[in-house]
Amino acid sequence: MISVRGIHKSFDEKEVLTGIDLDIPDNSTMVILGPSGQGKTVFIKTLVRLIEPDAGSISYDGEDILRMSRREWQAYQNNIAFVFQNSALFDFLDVRENLSLFLRMHKKLTPFQMYAEVSRAITFVGLGDDVLDKYPEELSGGMRKRVAIARAMIKRPKYIFYDEPTTGLDQNNAEKVSELILMLKKEIAATSIIVTHDIKLMRDVADRVALLREGNISFTGTKDEISAETLDFLYETRGEYDL
Amino acid sequence: MARIPSEHFFEKLGERSISFFTTVYEIAILFMQTIRALPSLWFYRRQFIEQLYAFSVKTLPIAAVIAIFIGLGATVQSTYQSSELLTRAVLVNVIFKTTILELCPIVLSLVLAGKLGASLAAEIGSMKISEQIEALETMSLDPVGFLVVPRVVAGLLMLPVITIIANFLAIFSSFFVSAVTSEWISAAEFGSGLEMDFKVFEMYFGNLIKPAVYGVLIALMGSYFGLKTSGGAKGVGAASTNAVVVSAVFIVIFDYYLGKLLL
Ligand SMILES: Nc1ncnc2c1ncn2[C@@H]1O[C@H](COP(=O)(O)OP(=O)(O)OP(=O)(O)O)[C@@H](O)[C@H]1O
Ligand SMILES: [Mg+2]
Repeated sequence: MISVRGIHKSFDEKEVLTGIDLDIPDNSTMVILGPSGQGKTVFIKTLVRLIEPDAGSISYDGEDILRMSRREWQAYQNNIAFVFQNSALFDFLDVRENLSLFLRMHKKLTPFQMYAEVSRAITFVGLGDDVLDKYPEELSGGMRKRVAIARAMIKRPKYIFYDEPTTGLDQNNAEKVSELILMLKKEIAATSIIVTHDIKLMRDVADRVALLREGNISFTGTKDEISAETLDFLYETRGEYDL
Repeated sequence: MARIPSEHFFEKLGERSISFFTTVYEIAILFMQTIRALPSLWFYRRQFIEQLYAFSVKTLPIAAVIAIFIGLGATVQSTYQSSELLTRAVLVNVIFKTTILELCPIVLSLVLAGKLGASLAAEIGSMKISEQIEALETMSLDPVGFLVVPRVVAGLLMLPVITIIANFLAIFSSFFVSAVTSEWISAAEFGSGLEMDFKVFEMYFGNLIKPAVYGVLIALMGSYFGLKTSGGAKGVGAASTNAVVVSAVFIVIFDYYLGKLLL
C-alpha cells in the first residue's frame, strides 16, 4: 500500500499541492481525476521522487521513500515503472533499445533472454516486430504510447504510474490504451496509479477514484460513488455528465 | 507610482549578478558531480563511445578548414610584417609558436563551442523538456553518469586530438605558402625556424593541456544549460545560445590564465 500524508509543494510563490492525504491499496487501479493545471503531474511525480515535496511523507508498504538515500531509492525503483505524459521514449535509441535499456543496464540476461523479453512486450502491446527497428520519431503518438507501456512492463514492476495515458490520442487509441492498462494489471498484478482528466478512462479502468481540485483531494471512493454533480463541480460545468 | 529608472537599473543589475553567481556555482556543482560519477564511465561505455565518435566526426572537417586557413593567414600576415631586423627563420618561429600555443587552440575551441556546445545543449535540452531525463531516473540511470560524464570525457580526450591534427595542418599550410608556392623562405630555413628554441613543454601545453581544458568547458556548459532547459522549444533555443556564449566567455578567460602559466 502507498500512503501519502500531508504533501505540500510550491513553485516560487505558487502553492500547487496543498497537503494531500491519500491511501492507495495494493493490487488496485487508482485513478486520480482532475482538470488541467490542477497539479496532477506534479503530484504523480512526487510519488516517485521525480519532484521532491516541501513537506509530507510518502510510504510504500510502510517504508518512507523520502528518507531513503539516493542509492537505496535507486534500488527500490526496480519496483516502479512510470509512463510519462509525453511517452518520453529515448529519441536517440530505436524501439528495441528503448525496451532493452533497463534490462541491459541492470539485469544479467543472455542476449536470447533479452530478445524474448522484448518480443513478448512488443507483442503484448499489440505491435509487430517490425516496429523494433524504428526510431521514436517514426512512430505515431498512439504507437509511441504503446511502446512506452511496453517499456514500463518490461521492468515487471509492483507499481505502475501513468501520467495522462490517453491525452492527445484519438478515441480508438485511447480505448486500446485503457484495455492495455487492464490487461497489464492482470498480467503482472501491479498496483496502477493513473492521473488523468479523462472521465471515460476513469470509468473504464478505475477501482478507486480520487478527485484532485486546486491542489488537494476533494473526494475518494469507488467510481459508482461519484455523482454527476461532483463532476460538474470538479470541471466547473453544468449538467454535462450523465452517469 | 512609476519607478525611478536608476533604482530599477540597480535592482536589475543586482538580480543579474546574483543569477550569474548562482549559475557559476551550479556549474561548479555539476563539475563535482561529474568527477564523482567518473567511475561509472565503464558502466556507460556505449554512450561514451558514441560521444567519442560524435566529437570527432562532427568536428574534423570544420577543424581542418579552419586550421589550414589559420596557417595561411598567420603566414601572410607575418610575411607582410617581415623586415630586415628579423631573419625569416625567426619569423617562422614566431608563426609556429603563435599558431600552436594560441591561435589554433583558441580559434578552434571557440568554433567548436559554437558547434558542439550548441548541439549538446539542444540534445540534452530537448530530452529535458520531453521528460526523457526523468525517464532515465525512473530506470535507475543517473543522468549525470549517462549523459554528462561521457560528453565531458569525450571533450577532454577529443579536443586535444583535433587540435593536434589542426596544428599539423596549420604548420603544413604555412610551409606550403611560404616555401612551396613562393620563394619567401627555403625549406631548410623553415625547418630551422621550427627547431629554434624548441621546448617540449610548450608542445604539451598547446596541443594537450589547453584543448583538454576547453573541451571540458564546452561539454560541461552544453550539458549544464541542456539540463537546465525549461519551457518548450523556445527554452531549447535559449539553452543552446547560453551554452555557446558562456563557454566562449569561459574559454577566453581561461586562455588568459593558462597563458600566464607559461610566463
Ligand atoms: N517546474 C515547475 N515550475 C513552476 N511551476 C510549475 C512547475 N511544474 C508545474 N508547475 C505549475 O504547477 C501547476 C500544476 O501543473 P501540472 O503540470 O501538475 O498540471 P496538470 O494537472 O498535470 O495539468 P495537465 O492536465 O495540463 O497536464 C501549473 O500551474 C504549473 O504552472
Ligand atoms: Mg500533466
